Amino acid sequence: MEWDWAFVWQIMPTLLEGFKITILATVLGAAVAAVVGLLLAIMRRSPIPAVSRTVGFVSEFIRGTPLLVQLYFIFYVLPDIGIRLSPLVAGVIGIGIHYATYTAEVYRAGIENVPRGQWEAAKAANLTTPQTWVHVILPQALPPMIPALANYFIAMFKETPLLSAITVLELMNQAKSIANSNYRYIEPMTLVGIFFLVISLISVVGLRWLEERYARMDD
Amino acid sequence: MRMKVLMTAVSLSALFSVAAGTHAMADDGKLEELKEQGFVRIAIANEPPFTAVGADGKVSGAAPDVARVIFERMGVKEVVASISEYGAMIPGLQAGRHDAITAGLFMKPERCNAVAYSEPVLCDAEAFAVKKGNPLKFASYKDIADNPDAKIGAPGGGTEEKLALEAGVPRDRVIVVPDGQSGIKMLQDGRIDVYSLPVLSIHDLVKKANDTNLEVVAPVQGAPVYCDGAAFHKDDVALRDAFDVELKKLKESGEFAKLIEPYGFSAAAAISTSRDKQCAAQ
Repeated sequence: MEWDWAFVWQIMPTLLEGFKITILATVLGAAVAAVVGLLLAIMRRSPIPAVSRTVGFVSEFIRGTPLLVQLYFIFYVLPDIGIRLSPLVAGVIGIGIHYATYTAEVYRAGIENVPRGQWEAAKAANLTTPQTWVHVILPQALPPMIPALANYFIAMFKETPLLSAITVLELMNQAKSIANSNYRYIEPMTLVGIFFLVISLISVVGLRWLEERYARMDD
Repeated sequence: MRMKVLMTAVSLSALFSVAAGTHAMADDGKLEELKEQGFVRIAIANEPPFTAVGADGKVSGAAPDVARVIFERMGVKEVVASISEYGAMIPGLQAGRHDAITAGLFMKPERCNAVAYSEPVLCDAEAFAVKKGNPLKFASYKDIADNPDAKIGAPGGGTEEKLALEAGVPRDRVIVVPDGQSGIKMLQDGRIDVYSLPVLSIHDLVKKANDTNLEVVAPVQGAPVYCDGAAFHKDDVALRDAFDVELKKLKESGEFAKLIEPYGFSAAAAISTSRDKQCAAQ
């Protein structure tokens, strides 16, 4: 096997096309995970047992089954009941909801770290439940969670090649189709690895900065 | 854990011995090696009637059946099949992951450059599966290219994908479908408008799907009849030649027809053409 630079430059535009989709899927998936995760965390704390138990069960279920299986389900089974999503939308929802069950745990830890006295003070000040959440609890709970959330963001980025299984033309799928028609794996797969590595390394630097900035609120 | 280490060691040494084998002994060495180990590793695709894996794991289909008989006559008792995507077969062959491809991988000039094909074994034309009544009136790959919204499903690295791209269908409208069942499902769900495979494969899938809303357009206009052959590593030409000798005998004795005709393939089509013609055709 020899490394062929000419081939590398020839396939680069195709890989970059795929890379755009990878980034897009990660960013959209992260947005879904951040929002749905917060909702799950709040609903999990609901005083109504039916709500908190159901949410708890659903999260356990999603966390306990493989993402790949969930993606197949969303893509191939949901159309049977009339829900037909495009591959990218199906992928973003799949990966977003899967990671939402993890981010929900991060949110939960953050929320539980807010001292009890804050809740009581909010009550004493006659704030409604939504007001308590928006003005008292979340502003204190969210910043320390940011580094942990960013961690999941990087993990999610590295999971996006799974979307190739449901025909999303992201980086991995583009590399596969290049390999399919040129019978060469070494360059496309190495480049896929490098693309992921570069972004991961940049993210790690960003993550460290976030930790410095937010994790030590007490200081 | 120990087991795992052991297995890694075994597979690593197997890998090295194969790599060494293909380079050091380019002549008859390969056949002797296969005889000695008692089995040959083939790549298949699970696309009936070309290749099929039963619910019990038994490998059948016209291509592996022919390969099994020929290898037996060459003195290799068993074939061990592994399922692979079409696109991964030739790289897998080059990487020494299998010894031959018997999967209905049709001969095309660029494939002939990459591997050593045997003489033709299975021939078939291309077909479309479409919604009932063929609402978008597809008769050729060109028709799909001309309809700006039409999406075609085809196996990644397969002949149909290439034909569609060559006919001018843009990359984003050629959906790479992982396997036949997914292709039919995507057609039923309306994710793709047409699913393209060889005639016999499409018939088999549509029959199994048992869906009256689907129909078959065959053969596709303008697409030639393709033939596959067993594909070997470029270094294993001697092995390929030995395979060809037995294949020729099989064709002459009439056993060849008995093997493939129950699957719906025409023996006459394979006998009437040759590797050189198929590899030159574009």
